[in-house]
Amino acid sequence: METMETLEKDIILIADDAEINREMIKFIFDEQYQILEAEDGEQAMRIITEYSDRLCLLFLDLLMPKKSGLDVLRFMNDEDYINTIPVIMITGEATDETDEKAYEYGASDIIYKPFAPNVVMRRAKNIMELFEHRIYIEHKLEKRTRQLRESREKLERSNEFLVNALSSVVEFRSLESGEHIQRVKYFTKLFLKYIMKIYPKYGITKEQASLIVNASALHDIGKIAIPDSILLKPGRLTEEEFEEMKKHTLYGCELLEKFKQEDNEFYHYCYDICRYHHERHDGNGYPDKLKGDEIPIWAQIVSVVDVYDALVSKRVYKDPFAVEEAARMIIEGECGVFSPEMIDCFGLAKQELFAVTEGEFSFADVMVK
Amino acid sequence: MTVQEFYNEVGGDYNEIMSRLRTEDRIRKFAGMFTRDESYKTLVKSIEDGDAEEAFRAAHTMKGMCQNMAFTRLYKSSHEITEVLRGKDIDGAKQMLDVVTEDYNIIIAGIEKLLA
Repeated sequence: METMETLEKDIILIADDAEINREMIKFIFDEQYQILEAEDGEQAMRIITEYSDRLCLLFLDLLMPKKSGLDVLRFMNDEDYINTIPVIMITGEATDETDEKAYEYGASDIIYKPFAPNVVMRRAKNIMELFEHRIYIEHKLEKRTRQLRESREKLERSNEFLVNALSSVVEFRSLESGEHIQRVKYFTKLFLKYIMKIYPKYGITKEQASLIVNASALHDIGKIAIPDSILLKPGRLTEEEFEEMKKHTLYGCELLEKFKQEDNEFYHYCYDICRYHHERHDGNGYPDKLKGDEIPIWAQIVSVVDVYDALVSKRVYKDPFAVEEAARMIIEGECGVFSPEMIDCFGLAKQELFAVTEGEFSFADVMVK
Repeated sequence: MTVQEFYNEVGGDYNEIMSRLRTEDRIRKFAGMFTRDESYKTLVKSIEDGDAEEAFRAAHTMKGMCQNMAFTRLYKSSHEITEVLRGKDIDGAKQMLDVVTEDYNIIIAGIEKLLA
């Protein structure tokens, strides 16, 4: 075995009301172990509490004054000692009922009077070894689980960093509202909170939600392929220019498809959000004119929060709308029709959206988990 | 008095106790402990008081010690009274107490001689 990072466990506790019975066990072990004795159940509980880190075995009589052996076992279950301190019950006679109870409460073994020292010694050693080994394995497993979790978290942080960096390339180029993407992510997260609460029918899990939030950052990645003359135009776009601008949804997908990962959930969220975040519930969106449930729920969410943030942000060609006005426009369908579910969630989330729009706090603080 | 003579006199099993405790010194030590144990006194008193539960525990403890000491004769009578008390039958126990007392006194007297 590898080195173990455990305390020295060197104490055996013998709980029996008769001194003779305690001595009969004590003399078997007292050369190799430190022995503590309890005359009744209450004393046993006190000693277990005080020496729990060092107890390697408990011999426990069933019938004792004050608290019985079963009381002590119950106590060890309640206080969670039963998995770290092995218990051997001592009893005068085999009755199925108490034996069964003792095992049920987590005793490892039962020995019957009169004690045969060799047998008691061998059983005790077996049980102590078994426990020691189990605790060792559990420690090892715990350590491994912790390491795995840490490396996964590290990977997630790196991923998020890369997605943020990539998506901010477009913003950087268009020199506009540098925090649009961070807001869309934050709003998407808010929306998902309500979707998961109110609409379990979509079956979105916590893990999925976190992937969707990350994917939402890439919704406008296709704008990287829109020429400066259109992307940076200081004024309203012509119809022709607008048609070109609409293609950012397709350009984004083209870009992503170069690195297609068919079996990666995250890839599909990114793809769907890029492509469908301008679709509308009534089929009047673009590029594919999808309708209703044809539009993935994650794209529907990003489309609402994207519209909301555009409305309340200042553009070269328009002043920002007040938050209440923006909300009215969304709810009444002035920016295209959203599904009833999206409108519901928008209603629930809007005060929190307003707080972000009207607050001046930095997104560096908000997004830190 | 040797340990073997003692066991023969009090109705115990010398071979059994030697196979478990190995040395006569150890057996003497445990015999000394037996005389200090209060279970018999507790048994008598709780039967007088009509406390069946306490009497049961005392009888049970005594029985367990006898098993460990291979005091076969006292083991038998204390086992019987334990079972009667398990059923909370104080009157039954009262009737059996004389036998237990007789067996107990034989053991105590024997131990006194053994350790003299």
